[in-house]
Amino acid sequence: MEKDYIEFKLPSNVCYIESVRVFIGKLSETLGFPKKRTADIQLALDEICSNAVNHGSMSTESGIKIQITVHKRFLELMVSDTGGKNTKNWFTPEKLAEIQARRTPEGEGGHGLYLIECLTDGHKLQANKYGGTDVTILFNRTNEVG
Amino acid sequence: MAGTDLMTVRENADIKIIDVMTDLSSYAALDLRKILEDLLLEKVDKVVVNFSEVNHINSTAVGTLVGIAKRLRQNGGDLKLCHLGPPLTRTFNLIGASSVVEIYETEKSALAAF
Repeated sequence: MEKDYIEFKLPSNVCYIESVRVFIGKLSETLGFPKKRTADIQLALDEICSNAVNHGSMSTESGIKIQITVHKRFLELMVSDTGGKNTKNWFTPEKLAEIQARRTPEGEGGHGLYLIECLTDGHKLQANKYGGTDVTILFNRTNEVG
Repeated sequence: MAGTDLMTVRENADIKIIDVMTDLSSYAALDLRKILEDLLLEKVDKVVVNFSEVNHINSTAVGTLVGIAKRLRQNGGDLKLCHLGPPLTRTFNLIGASSVVEIYETEKSALAAF
């Protein structure tokens, strides 16, 4: 297998994220990721989808795109939003980095990107052509099957 | 009393206990926030959240719990958590919230800590 590709498009509403989290959990199990790593993958995807919906969408109709690529040596997940320009919650990659720099354990927010850094084997935030952000995260497949 | 099908509220003396029976992504975190804020409006100041049926929590839900704990402490009360399994403990530890909110192994020990 060179690589397999799965894509979802969801309305920008947090009520749909749980279903995707369950899906990626089952997929990770199928690919042979250990239970603890599967939980990490689920949490990381939850965090970036929540950010995309809450801080990268103008409205429910904006939608977010989730691209899952199963490579031989790693699992790649990318979540794309269209940007929440002119909305008070809009986070650009730069603003996300700034929020993370100010993060403290006592704070109620700003933990998402920090968790992504902790949980993944690689991540990238990039502005996209739609005015939003593409967040890509990688998980190495070491002893996994498939 | 506040609650949903997946989050129920019961009481032990003057302490409210919330049993969470769903994983806590951002959507369920909204319900948890609503229940906790309703308890604050009712002037409840001692709350225990039991996570024995929960296998996942995201940073939105953790942030909600941290925020509510701070508000309860301002009222002279507190929020205590119990029965966190390994995935939840890991999330709390990574964020650092386990040093902000008191976490107990059992509901009994959480109640006794008030």
